[in-house]
Amino acid sequence: METLKNYLGQIIQQQVSGESWQWLQEKVSNIGNAAQFNLAFAAIPRKVGKNSIKIDEEEIKTVQQLRSGLSIKNWTIDRLCRVWLLMHLDADNQEAYIRTIENLFITADMNEQVALYSALPVLAYPEHWQKRCAEGIRSNIGDVLKAIMCNNPYPAEQLPPAAWNQLVLKAFFTEKPINEIIGLDRRANEELAHILSDYAHERWAAHRTVNPLLWRCVGPFIDEKIFPDIERIAASENKEDQMAAVLVCRQSSYPPAKALLHEHSALQSSAKDSTLSWDAIAQKAGGVQ
Amino acid sequence: MCCNQYTPGTDGLSERDLQPVSHLPFFKERIAGMQFFDPHVHMTSRTTDDYQAMADAGIVAIIEPAFWLGQPRTGVASFRDYYSSLIGWERFRASQFGIKHYCTIGLNSREANNEALAEEVMELLPSFIYKEGVVGVGEIGFDDQTAAEEKYYRLQLDLAKEAGLPVQIHTPHRDKKRGTTRSMDIAIEHGLNPYTVIVDHNNEETVQEVLDRGFWAAFTIYPFTKMGNERMVQIVKQYGIERIMINSAADWGISDPLAVPKTAALMKEYGISDEAIRTVTYQNAITAFGQSGQIDEKDFAAVKDIDQSQKFSGNTVLRGGQQPRVDKNSLIIR
Repeated sequence: METLKNYLGQIIQQQVSGESWQWLQEKVSNIGNAAQFNLAFAAIPRKVGKNSIKIDEEEIKTVQQLRSGLSIKNWTIDRLCRVWLLMHLDADNQEAYIRTIENLFITADMNEQVALYSALPVLAYPEHWQKRCAEGIRSNIGDVLKAIMCNNPYPAEQLPPAAWNQLVLKAFFTEKPINEIIGLDRRANEELAHILSDYAHERWAAHRTVNPLLWRCVGPFIDEKIFPDIERIAASENKEDQMAAVLVCRQSSYPPAKALLHEHSALQSSAKDSTLSWDAIAQKAGGVQ
Repeated sequence: MCCNQYTPGTDGLSERDLQPVSHLPFFKERIAGMQFFDPHVHMTSRTTDDYQAMADAGIVAIIEPAFWLGQPRTGVASFRDYYSSLIGWERFRASQFGIKHYCTIGLNSREANNEALAEEVMELLPSFIYKEGVVGVGEIGFDDQTAAEEKYYRLQLDLAKEAGLPVQIHTPHRDKKRGTTRSMDIAIEHGLNPYTVIVDHNNEETVQEVLDRGFWAAFTIYPFTKMGNERMVQIVKQYGIERIMINSAADWGISDPLAVPKTAALMKEYGISDEAIRTVTYQNAITAFGQSGQIDEKDFAAVKDIDQSQKFSGNTVLRGGQQPRVDKNSLIIR
């Protein structure tokens, strides 16, 4: 974490004025004063602005090496500075550390919430933030949800199954870029598969479309209850549905699913497509913001 | 905070005045292309239909002052959640309609009378007044003009001075003229520059003194209990446009979130120049509350930058969380 903190500091230094950098340094050296720290956290956008950071692929990769799964791509400078400032808090006194950060959560404005949830993977006492993270998933503020759901490794590492399933389901409900959820395949589970199948049935009943990426979490758990769904998307006229059906049948060890792959002529042509992948479906199907 | 109870049947109104009014957006043609800033409107009490209508009428930015919710709160946590909703959820809700949302934070005069609670709220205020998009301390001032109201008004003036924030003063409904004078006397006594103080809910009886003493004079266009917009036109004709601004103070009472654009349309009909209209319905509010350093007109465009709904490879996706339009005249709901 120390290395990541220093590396993020370097990135910030490149993007802000000398004056702002000096201001940030002062705030860091004064981090023990709770009132001063709260003011600094609130005042960051006034000092550094709110522009998107400029960052190259190499830097993105380095950040991911230092903290697996963390991506700061598309972050704004105030968000990055706030996360970086939080990393300087003294974590030795667990009670004081947690109190300081919880206090920020309950008085946070919209952008502060985004920064706070973005910081979850770099905070000390990771298991403590499970409930806070689950609470954030209940938010209806789009950017806050995105900060938790997308390119954030914390939820997959820490959330208990029920909260994780809520995250995935809510990501579909609120049309978030599903392919940016870290740990989507690893945290797939049978209960989620059935919840998502039920959700698809509700959508169909309402004559609404179903995001083909939904089946990615269903594939490993195909059984006699879910299999008719797969037959349905295999027979869909929508190309992305067919592509999803191919990928799902490949993932599955359920024999009828394996057989379906060979029976369906439309699926066979999709299956020949060498670029077939969930990311390719995500690109085509949209929902990418 | 502006509602006196309105009782139908009084003020010489007949049954006819209580019938639903069919709304023709006739006034919109006159103000097409104009932009408005409503510096006083309580959106937590309003529906998404209001947001949509406001955006359609040219309102690009608003200020939501912290006020009382129609009944008193009984614990400090209710205040904390209310303040945090002003900088969180309500700000997001406004952004969905392309409206930039600012707020002022303060302890309102009515609830200042619960002294035990007021003490706790005072401790809470510093956690909120320095937040991004908080453009002043408000709305504060007098209601009953009690000793407790005066105490917390004074304490909050000091807070505003320390934070370098403008003050938004609510003037009382009852004994208004003296209450307004007293509010200004105290502000000056505490060393505030009148140019950083917006005195709200003025009328024909208060405006002269407010302007003479160098304060900003805000007028609330609010049916039955405050200013009507025909009177407002006359005020502008008589007093000009310097340090005058117009707001709706729309809240949970019978009020009109389109009061600012409607008044602009009426001014236009009475031959007031576009530039003068712009000054009192947009620019003056920005100049006054912009002294907080928290208003950037570029942000008005940024929040609008979000398309309503975009076709994306055949799927309709909403960008940035903006809400799709609903045809209110359609029988079918999908």
